[in-house]
Amino acid sequence: MDVSSASVIAAALAIGLASLGPGIGQGNASASAVEGIARQPEAEGKIRGTLLLTLAFMESLTIYGLVIALVLLFANPFVK
Amino acid sequence: MLNFLDSPNFVSLAALEVGQHFYWHIGSLKVHGQVFLATWFVMAVLIIVSLLATRNIQRIPTGMQNLMEYALDFVRELTRNQIGEKEYRPWVPFIGTLFLFIFVCNWSGALIPWKLIHLPEGELAAPTNDINTTVALSLLVSIAYFYAGFKKKGLGYFAKYVQPTPVLLPIAVLEDFTKPLSLSFRLFGNILADELVVGVLVLLVPLFVPLPVMLLGLFTSAIQALVFATLAGAYIHEALEGHGDEHDEEHA
Amino acid sequence: MFDFDATLPLMAVQFILLVVILNAIFFKPLTAVIEDRANLIRSSQTGAKEGLEQINAITQQYEKELAESRRQYQSVIAKAQADAQKLASDQVAAAQAEAVAQREQATQELSAQKVSAMAELEKQVDGLSQEILNKLLVGV
Repeated sequence: MDVSSASVIAAALAIGLASLGPGIGQGNASASAVEGIARQPEAEGKIRGTLLLTLAFMESLTIYGLVIALVLLFANPFVK
Repeated sequence: MLNFLDSPNFVSLAALEVGQHFYWHIGSLKVHGQVFLATWFVMAVLIIVSLLATRNIQRIPTGMQNLMEYALDFVRELTRNQIGEKEYRPWVPFIGTLFLFIFVCNWSGALIPWKLIHLPEGELAAPTNDINTTVALSLLVSIAYFYAGFKKKGLGYFAKYVQPTPVLLPIAVLEDFTKPLSLSFRLFGNILADELVVGVLVLLVPLFVPLPVMLLGLFTSAIQALVFATLAGAYIHEALEGHGDEHDEEHA
Repeated sequence: MFDFDATLPLMAVQFILLVVILNAIFFKPLTAVIEDRANLIRSSQTGAKEGLEQINAITQQYEKELAESRRQYQSVIAKAQADAQKLASDQVAAAQAEAVAQREQATQELSAQKVSAMAELEKQVDGLSQEILNKLLVGV
């Protein structure tokens, strides 16, 4: 396997694996947020704001994987 | 470079250009011209809107002044929530400008048909999808929170590295490097990912189908601007408060 | 994609410039306006509250004065009534006393006249009886 094809596979693995954890985390966070809203409907605005922020933080973990994938695809240091 | 995406089959529909730049040479230095063009546009928009809003200031705001007062209220609230009632005032311009600049940059990339303007090389896009921009902004945030800490506590600022226990010193030092790294990569990755996803979808289905993804991109862009500004405020607050006196944060 | 060059420092400088410019033309004037407005609202609120308190105080004072003057005029009325009552009863008493005195005088005069009339009558009776006696004695 030459470096190019290895890079493509590595990019796919990077983004795929990087989306696993944040996916679970986002699910948990959203479930808790919905529970919180159900328990305290008057706090909905605050909970939604915090939820969006935390979702963005978790999302950024996947984005790091995506950045690695992009590096492998478009700016691969091992391919001339 | 693996440039399979703009292979001849697709190039007529849409070409994804990543890592190609419209270089300007200033002396012996190279700069990315397309980033500067887009940045100047964004700055011009911000300055013109501000001038329009403050040209005829009235007690009862109308039109543009109303809009910009809403924006100002928003960033003031954001800064106060992060830094606290006592010290937030001097930081409003910095964090507010961060938010407004990143917000307008992100949305300009999604809303303005830059592709209609042809450059010799590379293409115009949101300035925040260039790693140089985001790293510059996050380094400024790092400088800002160091400045805040030094101004408040002098050399005593370094005490926070060994405050709970000196064992954590390496992690505390490492934190100073991961903060700008994660800030810049988060913004860069999100914006670039948005544009790539839209680009790939346009490449597959040119009409209508990419619209929901574009809307999601707008949403993500706004959230990313908010996240960047919020984190900048949180870092500055952390530097101002330190680890030693956490009881102050209760009523901050 | 990850090619750092002079874009980075220039961008930082540009951004700081933007912060300075926006601070001058956007943040400072609009913050001043917003805080001015907040101060105005706060001060007019406290002003209104003070005015309300003043009005309440004035109203209370008026009510007190009203009660006071009501009491006063009631006492004046009562006094005047008492005065009038006293005057009337005095006059009635005086008139009654006068009437009594007049009646007494009249009674006295009457009795005096009666006495004098009785005395006259007696004198006449004496004279007549003398005459009758004389006449009778002549006849004898």
